[in-house]
Amino acid sequence: MSMIRLEHLVKRFGAFTALKTMDLTIADGEFVALLGPSGCGKSTTMNMIAGMETPSEGRILFGDRDMAGVPMGRRGVGFVFQNYAIFTHMTVRQNLSYGLRATRRPSDEVVRRTNAMAELLQLTPMLDRPAAGLSVNILQRVAIGRSAIMEPAIFLLDEPLSNVDAAFRAVMRTELKGLQRSFKQTMVYVTHDQLEAMTMADRIAVMDHGVLQQVGTPLQIYNDPANLFVARFIGSPGMNLLHGRPTEVAGSMAIDLGALGYSLPLAPEQAAAARKANGDVVFGFRPEQAARVSEGQGMAMPISFVERIGARTILHLGDGAASAKTVFENDAGFEMGRALHFAPHPSAVRLFDAASGAALRGQ
Amino acid sequence: MKDESARLGFRLTLPAQVLVLFISVFPLLMQAYISLTDWSPLSGQSWPQAWQFWNSFANYSDLLGDGRLWAALGRTAFVMAVCVPIEFMLGLGLATLFMDDFKGKRVFYSILIMPMMVVPAVAGYMFFMLFQSGGPVNDILAMFTGSPVTIAWLSDPNLALVAVMVADIWQWTPLMFLILLAGLVGVPEDQVRAATLLGANPLQRFTSIVLPRMKTIIGIALAIRVIECFKIFDTLFIMTGGGPGVATETISVYIYKIATQDLIWGYVAAIALAILIVLSVVCVWALKRMARVRA
Repeated sequence: MSMIRLEHLVKRFGAFTALKTMDLTIADGEFVALLGPSGCGKSTTMNMIAGMETPSEGRILFGDRDMAGVPMGRRGVGFVFQNYAIFTHMTVRQNLSYGLRATRRPSDEVVRRTNAMAELLQLTPMLDRPAAGLSVNILQRVAIGRSAIMEPAIFLLDEPLSNVDAAFRAVMRTELKGLQRSFKQTMVYVTHDQLEAMTMADRIAVMDHGVLQQVGTPLQIYNDPANLFVARFIGSPGMNLLHGRPTEVAGSMAIDLGALGYSLPLAPEQAAAARKANGDVVFGFRPEQAARVSEGQGMAMPISFVERIGARTILHLGDGAASAKTVFENDAGFEMGRALHFAPHPSAVRLFDAASGAALRGQ
Repeated sequence: MKDESARLGFRLTLPAQVLVLFISVFPLLMQAYISLTDWSPLSGQSWPQAWQFWNSFANYSDLLGDGRLWAALGRTAFVMAVCVPIEFMLGLGLATLFMDDFKGKRVFYSILIMPMMVVPAVAGYMFFMLFQSGGPVNDILAMFTGSPVTIAWLSDPNLALVAVMVADIWQWTPLMFLILLAGLVGVPEDQVRAATLLGANPLQRFTSIVLPRMKTIIGIALAIRVIECFKIFDTLFIMTGGGPGVATETISVYIYKIATQDLIWGYVAAIALAILIVLSVVCVWALKRMARVRA
């Protein structure tokens, strides 16, 4: 019943098209993150699901029910605003019970459900405190509880962690995921933070410039980006992307990384993908999936910067012609200026069409 | 050291303090002094010699038994009780309308706030003309009734006050509108949306989200208008001169009349001082209440 279907959704604001076209089906009870840089259309999509904006074209269906013309108060949607929109002139209790009181539920039910929700969110001690002046983590729980108490089939969260400092975000991620498990509702979560999307979502919908780029589980998106945008956007640092040309030498495929003067042989699956290529390709691999090799094998690039972040060391490699980053577990005496000899694991190589940016796949 | 800097501070602010002393404290003391005498400018003595006419608190006890004063006060309170709520409701309604976008909003906005810019004396003259028995108001009424209307608005003791209140509402609704619009703009949109998503209907949203957020600004708007309305004079004086008879004689008109016609300045000073004290007490009480609500 609480499945969400977006069909050919388009939103224009005057001459500006915020959402070019969007088709997405979100299953009942699924946690989907809409991920993308600011201005990609993710919030617009969310506002249309909530009914705050009207689509210029296309349909939104909850289950089989078309939501066109259904006002936002009647959609049965819970919404957590980026700034939480807590009613600061009320107490925590009044905030939590607002929806129940507005829809005129019997007062004993209001009391019972408010207390139950406060218990679940550990808000009982501050139920009668004024909402103004509470800390951000409590405000967030109030915002979630205020929506959850209405038992909406669908829960929408608009960047709820963007106002929280980095250390606290990790705590809140765990907390939010736990809440979703206990509520078992369909959740749509808008964020520009890939870490939030990766850690919490069942599936991620990556968006850019009003276009849905890829939908998949966090690992699918990480391992097999559908195009160059996703490859660059996901991962920190993003995927290394080098220009090259597929060449066939004695029946085995290799990529000629012209500028670097190397040819790298490919694993069978990648070779099959390379055969489909129409001209130049972009050769990609994750910074974590490269290993050091002895001189004369693999690629060599000078180390231009060593970034030590404790558990890992990020090497910035390259000169003007090509650049890459690699991530190693430990700092094995990397020196700036020295050449690093490295090669990606053959199975970790991903190929993209240089012209269109789309991923080339073996099958 | 601290003493030294305090003394320097005192010396530096001395000119300003003297100025304040002259423009507010001195006239107040002078008024209090005169209010305890029977002094009149016709007595042949200048005001510092007013002690020769000392009558203790006789003016204040006269004031308690002055029927005309109490009638004027009652009339003023009536005007206030009718005009301020109407202005508030109209202003709030208009402000709510102006939160939405519609065609020609800017033009309507300019037209709407224009009455506030009209000099009250001019507004008084405008309404004096409008409410003549052969004037436009009667002409428009005639269009509805189909027969000529010749209501003597300004010379009928009951209708004159109505005409005066219409003029006041016309001139001061825009101020309410402006202040309340500023208040409405300050209500966070997300909170209203959140309430909508929780199933609140427009009336619930207004009473539970919008109004509490505007409490302070509504208090300020009402306070300004109540105080101003209490002092109503210029428009009214040009329209009716307080007449016919004493039908539109408000407290300001009454004070004006006894000050300029009867010239009993000792008594005038007593009335003015009494009103000042009562109004100040009411204002302080209202402000304290408002501060408590906000805290």
